[in-house]
Amino acid sequence: MSTATKESRAAARARRKADRIRDLHANDLPRSMQPSAAVRIVTIAVLVLVLIYFLFPIYWAIIASTKTPSQMTGGNGLWFAVGIAELPDAIAKNYATLLGWTRGQFWRWVANSLVYSGVSALIGTLVAVMAGYATAKFAFRGRNAAIGVIMGCMLMPAALLTIPQYSIFHAMHLTNTMLSIIIPCCVSPFGFFLGRVYAQTSVPNELLEAARIDGASEARIFFTIVLRILAPAMVTIFLFLFVATWNNFLLPLMMISSDTLKPVTLGLYGMVSLATFTDRGALMMGALLGVLPVIVLFLGLQRYWQAGLAAGAVKG
Amino acid sequence: MSFNKRLVACAAAVAALSMGLAGCGSSANDSSGSSDGVVNITYMHRLPDSEGMTLVNDIVAKWNKEHPDIQVKATKFDGKASDMIKKLETDVKSGEAPDLAQVGYAELPEVFTKGMLQDVTQYAEQYKDHFASGPYSLTQVDGKSYGLPQDTGPLVYFYNKAEFAKLGIDSVPQSADEFIDAAKKAAASGKYIMSYQPDEAGNMISGLAGASGGWYKVKGDAWVVDTETDGSKAVADFYQQLLDAKAATTNPRWDPSFDASIKDGSLIGTVAAAWEAPLFVTSSGGTGSGDWQVAQLGDWFGNAGKTGPDGGSAVAVLKSSKHPKEAMEFLDWFNTQVPDLVSQGLVPAATTEDAETPSEWGEFFGGQDIMKEFKDANNNMGDFTYMPGFSAVVAKMNETAAKATDGSGKVEDIFSDAQTTSVDTLKNLGLSVAK
Amino acid sequence: MTATTHTAKTPSAGRAGRPKRSDAAKRENRTGWAFMAPFGILFALVFILPIIWAIYSSFFRQVTVGGGAYGGGELVNKFVGLQNFRYVVTSPAFWAGTGRVLLYTLIQVPVMIISALVLAMLLDSFIVRHVTGFRLGYFLPYAIPGVVASIIWVFLYNGQISPIVKALAAIGIQVDFFADNIVIASMANITTWTFTGYNMLIFLAALQAIPHDLYEAARIDGANGLQIAWHIKLPNVRAAALLAMLLSIVGTIQLFNEPQVMAISDPGISKSYTPMMMALNTSQGTLTPGGDGPASAIAIVMALIAGVLAAVYALVERKVNEQ
Repeated sequence: MSTATKESRAAARARRKADRIRDLHANDLPRSMQPSAAVRIVTIAVLVLVLIYFLFPIYWAIIASTKTPSQMTGGNGLWFAVGIAELPDAIAKNYATLLGWTRGQFWRWVANSLVYSGVSALIGTLVAVMAGYATAKFAFRGRNAAIGVIMGCMLMPAALLTIPQYSIFHAMHLTNTMLSIIIPCCVSPFGFFLGRVYAQTSVPNELLEAARIDGASEARIFFTIVLRILAPAMVTIFLFLFVATWNNFLLPLMMISSDTLKPVTLGLYGMVSLATFTDRGALMMGALLGVLPVIVLFLGLQRYWQAGLAAGAVKG
Repeated sequence: MSFNKRLVACAAAVAALSMGLAGCGSSANDSSGSSDGVVNITYMHRLPDSEGMTLVNDIVAKWNKEHPDIQVKATKFDGKASDMIKKLETDVKSGEAPDLAQVGYAELPEVFTKGMLQDVTQYAEQYKDHFASGPYSLTQVDGKSYGLPQDTGPLVYFYNKAEFAKLGIDSVPQSADEFIDAAKKAAASGKYIMSYQPDEAGNMISGLAGASGGWYKVKGDAWVVDTETDGSKAVADFYQQLLDAKAATTNPRWDPSFDASIKDGSLIGTVAAAWEAPLFVTSSGGTGSGDWQVAQLGDWFGNAGKTGPDGGSAVAVLKSSKHPKEAMEFLDWFNTQVPDLVSQGLVPAATTEDAETPSEWGEFFGGQDIMKEFKDANNNMGDFTYMPGFSAVVAKMNETAAKATDGSGKVEDIFSDAQTTSVDTLKNLGLSVAK
Repeated sequence: MTATTHTAKTPSAGRAGRPKRSDAAKRENRTGWAFMAPFGILFALVFILPIIWAIYSSFFRQVTVGGGAYGGGELVNKFVGLQNFRYVVTSPAFWAGTGRVLLYTLIQVPVMIISALVLAMLLDSFIVRHVTGFRLGYFLPYAIPGVVASIIWVFLYNGQISPIVKALAAIGIQVDFFADNIVIASMANITTWTFTGYNMLIFLAALQAIPHDLYEAARIDGANGLQIAWHIKLPNVRAAALLAMLLSIVGTIQLFNEPQVMAISDPGISKSYTPMMMALNTSQGTLTPGGDGPASAIAIVMALIAGVLAAVYALVERKVNEQ
């Protein structure tokens, strides 16, 4: 166990050092390698243009979220329809519309989404990593068949399984409960696949052997050594599952009928799907506010998921 | 050993967590616990329930207060009508469906065929007088009642009177030829007095054609399908001329560009369903406020002044309901809460009380009592029976209608496609079609 | 993908008398399944059972019984053998949708993967120093739910509203993003917008994991930036790129959100525009024959096609790898 910690610490140190070297060298590249000013300008121009492409729709959505339906269809799409001084009023009005459409449940739904996404990502990550570790490190009977079946299911359009899932969950009296969202959302063949790849590439067999010789039980090895090594990788799986659950609306559409249990995407979908709904500014505001927690999470966990991506990418 | 213990502990923790979560909302679906003599009724709807409206839950609360022995719980379904039917279909099979559910008139026969409705004719009879006869008959299948009508969608003509006057069109043209001439005249100055809406073709154009006679008739036990009636041909001819002359807008109804065409003042007249009135108010952003009017359809499609249905819903009693009598009692009360339903943007089917034009519409429509116009239209609807599986026909009609906008198809194709799709759908359902 | 598995050799010195190997194997078997179990149980519940249900139901159709014009007010499941499958494989709408999706995959996936690669390379090059802002900016769209992204883009495509269309028109370029031959590219753009940043991050991570001394060595050999990119960087992200490609292929075959939302503005997008839309609309009865039976058959045929594609891709990948 102490070996593992040391090892991962050493790895982290090495990574940090590599980063530092990279930063340093960026400044003192040999003359032949120093990009010419022209190359630099062109590259930066390209990168900025691409950045505009990615951010412009979001910028537009922010502007749109302050507009009334008629302001959306007329006038300048690039700027607020009202003066800056009147902006708070415009925002307050759309916010009121949003709360009206969601019958005052908007933040409750956001909280529900957080619970659904958080819990299913947590459970999902753990079981995926366990299964991935099992298939990567143990030659149990039926292993190849299991891998084959799970990978095959990646090809199955998950949305179409929603209806049979509903029937099964109904038989278990689980429909219209939080579990009816959490259970389906915490199973991801892709998560399993990532867990397997990570376990294959970053858990050294020697380490496991050594721990076994020390007399550690398999459970102890997994929960104290393997999970620690896989931690950055698990963040990646967690975020993947989190986003996937957050964005799912077909499943809650079938499973959930109580207003108090709806996730925020379902509420937004409800607004869009009503033919008579035209208040798209308020919808944009809802979409942006609904996405906010995801973005905060991404920013907050940035350091970890980038490390996790690196871990997975090396030998994907 | 220690491994197994740990695993068990872990599983137990997960399970405990799950139970806790399950506890959060498991009791929401039980529909009919009547141990203490109280009947519980559940009602699923798709009403807008938006800001400024009288919320469905508030209306229901009034009922619950006055009827301690029949307690109603309303839930709003946050999805499309087709999503809701699919969900109810599964719910009915598993016996967990609500007692009452909103069902569009066009979908009612389909929902019946799918085995989701309960025959409530014996209870419906006594409430018959509370509703207009046209909508009431749309809640029936084969002479039996399955619910009560809630709102209607008679097609009427919305137009901007001041813009018409500017163009020298003194009144809404009453014949097809006059209308097309006027439309061309308007188009010449960048104005349009009609919109062709490909995404609403299935609902609206079927209603327009239906003004002069239905498509689906039952003869013996077989369906007689004729979607290419004289009325259909007149509708096709009318719109085709407008499209050829580029004298109608072709924006899809639910695309933002349709709203834009009202706001920028280019669309100054169109056929629309009565329930679209509040949408014109919001979409316009004030353009033409006070100048808009509602008129009955002219004799543009051989319809002799009659109109047809577009949308409108019934509330039906689902098969799994154990308390149809109480459900109907509530339903009759709910569907006759005229002012509350009007606040939800509906044109109520109830005749127990005159619907008043809401004041916020009054300004936009120049003080006209548009509810009266809608009521007149309601009383002037042609007979149009929907067949089971009509939603497939609607989908096909919309798709074909889109082809007419860019000239890759003709408006009349809508009706020939409707014919083949109707026959296919009926046959696929195992119903017989007369040659 | 074929991993060499380590067979745990148990140091079972104290278990004399029993054949070592089978004991170890048994133990490994048990431990493996124990770790597999939680995922396995959930997986069975969420995937296996529903798939079995789907396969079973694909042999049935829902029809009325009891005669009369409306039937007896009940749909029953009628066993129809392979009729649903026959319907699917002979349906021009299904193949048109499949063709559309394949075309979409053919265009969108390479464009997205190559753009992501190029962006990752540029960010990893020493040309630009402060990359954090770019990295996050590119990645942000991934956090936007697909439906919302589609709604935003539909606005940006709309001739009467979009500042983009208006700006293009102002400089004399008239575009109709919903025109018949362009609409599929418009759709592909939405997918690309959403997922390029995500893929780029994966590639960037792979690039940054390349040991720095490799560059040093190359530089000493006199390699320039492009040569380093081609000979060192590219081979190192190949595995990640190939995997991303496979996942993207599987994802785009299930194309649904984008066309579904765009259909609001373009009614020409039919209910069977993609196989996934066709399946869902069939199950809801807006296409005929409707119901779960034909819908399941569509899903199964579609999954088979996706499976064949993935297998072909994996085969090609292996062939290329061997060379």
